[in-house]
Amino acid sequence: MWAFEAVTAMHTSPRRLAVRYFDGRSSRAQAAVAWLHDGELYVLGPTVRLSVPAKQVRWPERTQRGPRVARLPEGGSLQSVDPAAWDAWLREAGRGDSAVVRLQQSWRAVFASLALLVLLTVAGYIWGLPWASREVAHRVPDSVEARVGEVVLAQLEGFTRPSQLTEQEQRAIEQAWEKVLAAHRAAEAARGVVLRPTRLLIRHSEDIGPNALALPGGAMLLTDDMVRLLQHDTRVIAGVLGHELGHVQHRHGMRMLVQVSVMGAASSLLWGDFSGILATVPLWLGQAHYSREAERESDAYSVQVLRASGIPPTVMVTLFERLALFERCGDEVLKAPAPDSPPSVPPAAAACKAPAPTGQGDEKGGRWGLGFASHPANEERIAFFRAAAR
Amino acid sequence: MESPEHRAEPSFDATSVRRLPIEFTGSGGEYFRIWIVNMLLLLVTLGLYWPWAKVRRLRYFWGNTLVDGDPLDFHGEPGQMFKGWALVGVLFLLYNWAGSVSALADVVAFVALGLLWPALWRSSMAFRLGNTSWRGLRFRFVGSMREAYASLLPLFLVALPLVLLGLWVPDEPEAPAPDWVGWVFLGVMALAVCVLPWLLWRMKAYQHRHYALGPLQTDFRASVRAFYGLVLKPLGLVLLLVGLAVGLVVVQLGTGLEWPGKEMMGALAIVPLLLVLLVVFGVTPWWTARLQNLVWTKTGNSQMRFISRLSFRSMLWLSLKNGLLTAITLGLYWPFAAVAMARLRLEAVHIRSIVDLESLLAADHQRPAEAAGEAAGDFFGMDVGL
Repeated sequence: MWAFEAVTAMHTSPRRLAVRYFDGRSSRAQAAVAWLHDGELYVLGPTVRLSVPAKQVRWPERTQRGPRVARLPEGGSLQSVDPAAWDAWLREAGRGDSAVVRLQQSWRAVFASLALLVLLTVAGYIWGLPWASREVAHRVPDSVEARVGEVVLAQLEGFTRPSQLTEQEQRAIEQAWEKVLAAHRAAEAARGVVLRPTRLLIRHSEDIGPNALALPGGAMLLTDDMVRLLQHDTRVIAGVLGHELGHVQHRHGMRMLVQVSVMGAASSLLWGDFSGILATVPLWLGQAHYSREAERESDAYSVQVLRASGIPPTVMVTLFERLALFERCGDEVLKAPAPDSPPSVPPAAAACKAPAPTGQGDEKGGRWGLGFASHPANEERIAFFRAAAR
Repeated sequence: MESPEHRAEPSFDATSVRRLPIEFTGSGGEYFRIWIVNMLLLLVTLGLYWPWAKVRRLRYFWGNTLVDGDPLDFHGEPGQMFKGWALVGVLFLLYNWAGSVSALADVVAFVALGLLWPALWRSSMAFRLGNTSWRGLRFRFVGSMREAYASLLPLFLVALPLVLLGLWVPDEPEAPAPDWVGWVFLGVMALAVCVLPWLLWRMKAYQHRHYALGPLQTDFRASVRAFYGLVLKPLGLVLLLVGLAVGLVVVQLGTGLEWPGKEMMGALAIVPLLLVLLVVFGVTPWWTARLQNLVWTKTGNSQMRFISRLSFRSMLWLSLKNGLLTAITLGLYWPFAAVAMARLRLEAVHIRSIVDLESLLAADHQRPAEAAGEAAGDFFGMDVGL
C-alpha cells in the first residue's frame, strides 16, 4: 500500500468510476472512485485507499434493473451510483458477461432457450421417460417387486371376494390356462427365455366388473364377471390371460410405478414453483399415454401365447364384442347363457332387452384394466388380432 | 407524524422520525428471461443446477429490493447450498422410506425428524439472514437453538399423538379400528385447531424477535389474541358455508322430497369445488395480507419499526389476475406474477426510525452459514421471513 499514490499517479488512462464504498463495518457510504488496471481493482476515497486483485472480487451480474453491488474480499463492498456507467466501465476494462448472463439478457436467446426447453421436455417425455423406466424396472430386484405386489394385492383384497363360480368351473379355467401356459413356456424356453413366475387368482368383485388385472410380482386377477362375460370360453380366457401375462413379462406394473414416481419428481421440480394442481396434470396424462403403449405390447404378447398352443388370435375378437355388448346392456349380459346357444353368439345381432342406463357401462368397466379408457380403441385392437391370425 | 400509530407509540419522537420506503424495481420481463434460462439449465443438468438457479433468483429479487434507496444483496454460495440441498434430500428420502417400511418405523422417523427439525428451521433463518446485506452490513439471526426447540415443542406434541394413532389403526381394512381411536383422533384434531393460532404465534414470535442488523434487534409485539382472530375468521366463514350446504340438503330431505335427484347431486358436487375456489382465491389473499400486516407492523424496537399496509383488495385483485394469466399462458406468466406479487407485498411496507440508519455499526462479524436449513425450508415449503 505504501506505493499507492505512486502507482495510482501512473494510471492516467483507465476510466475512473464514481462509486459508493461501504467498509462492511458501518452502514455509512463513502463517495469514492474506482478503476481497474492490470488485473487490480483500485478504490480511492476520503478514508479508503485499497487495491485488490479483480479476480477476488465478487462482481455482480448485469441486469437491467437495480443497482450493482460488488463484494470485496475483506467484507467491504462497492455500490453503483449509475448502473449504466458501471456496465460501460466494466466492458471497457474487458470484463465480459458470463455465458448465462448473455443468455439472460437477450430476448432472442431466451426464446431459443424456451424452444429448446419445450423440445427437450417433449423428447424426454416421449422417449426418455419410457426408456428410463423400462431400464429401472428391469433392475428392480424380484424381492422388491414381490413386496410391492403383496401391498397391491392386499389393497385389491379389500374389494374382492372369493370366487362364486363352482369349483368345477374354476378348475376348468385353471387347467385350460395351465395347458396354454405350458405350451407357451416350452416355446419360450426353446428361444432361451425364462418366464417370470405368475399365479392366477379368480375372484368375485362388485366393484371392478368383468375385468382382468396383472399386478406387480406376477399375480393375475381374473374376475367372475369376466368369466361369465366370456361364457366360460377357455380359449378367449387364455387370450385375456395371455395379455395379462404380457404385462407381467414386460414388468409393466413396475414400469408404471417408476414412471409415476419420476414424473412426479420431474413435474414438481419444474412446476412445483407454481402450483400443486398443475404439477399433477402431466402425471395424469403420462399415465394414460404409457398404458396405451403397454397395452399394445401386451396384445402382441397375447398373440404369441395363443399361437404357441394353436389357438387362433381371432378368438380375442370375441372379447371386444362381448365388452361392447356389456357397455350397451350392462349386467344382463353376465347372466348364464341359454344352454342351447353356441358359446359365442354374434353379439352385434343380440339386442338387450333393457338397455343399461347411460353411463353405467363406463362406470363398470371404466376404471381398471381391460376396460380402462386409455386402452387403444377397440376397433384398432380387433383389427390387430384379425391381422395376427393371417 | 400524523397517523394514529404515532400516538400509541410514545417512543417515537415526532420531530426526528424518518420514514424509509421499500421499493421493488424488478421487472417481469427480466425475471422471465432469468427463469427460462434457469429452467433450461435445470433440465439439462437433471436438476443439479438447482442451487445456482436459486442463487440467481434470490440475487435478482434481493438486488431489486431497495430499502431507503439501497439494495439488499444475497451472499449465498451455490456450492455450499448444494451440500445442504443434498443432505436434506437424503433426509427426505429416508423419511419417506421409513414410512413405507412399517408404522413403527414411521413413528421413529417422525420423532427423529421432530428432533432435527427445529435445528434446521433455525439454521435456515440464520443462513438466509446471515447471507443478506444492506449498506455493507450483514443481517443476523440471533435466535438460540434452545429457543428454537422450545418454540416448536408444542407443535411436535400436538402432531405426535396423530402419528402414534396410526399404530393402532389396523392394516386390515376388514377389521374396524376400535371406537376410541376415532374419538381420540377427533379430540386431538379439535385440540390442534384450538392451539394452532397459538403455535403459529410462537413460531412468528421466535422469528421476529431475533432479526438483527448492526446494533439493532427486532422485538415482536403482536398479541396471541390477534392470531386467534386471524385463524378463526376464515375458518368460521368456511364452516358457515359448509353448514349452509348441509342445511340445504336437510331442508330438501325434510320437505318430503325424494333423495336428491341427479341435478341436485350435481349441484352438491359443485359445493366442495366452490369452497376450494373460495379458499384459494379469497381466503388465501386475505390471510396473506392480514398476516403480513399483523406480523410486520408489530415488529420493531424502541428505535425503529416496520409498518405494513397491504390491502386485501389489492391482494385479491392481483391473485386473481396472476392465477388467470398463469393458467391461460400454461405457466409462462409465472415470473411476471412473482414479480408483481413481490412488488405489491414489499412496497406495502415501510420503516420508521428515529435512529440514523446511515451510521449503524456492525456487531462482531459472525457468518452463520448453514445451508442445510435453507434447503429444508425449500423442501417442506416453509416460509422464511417476508
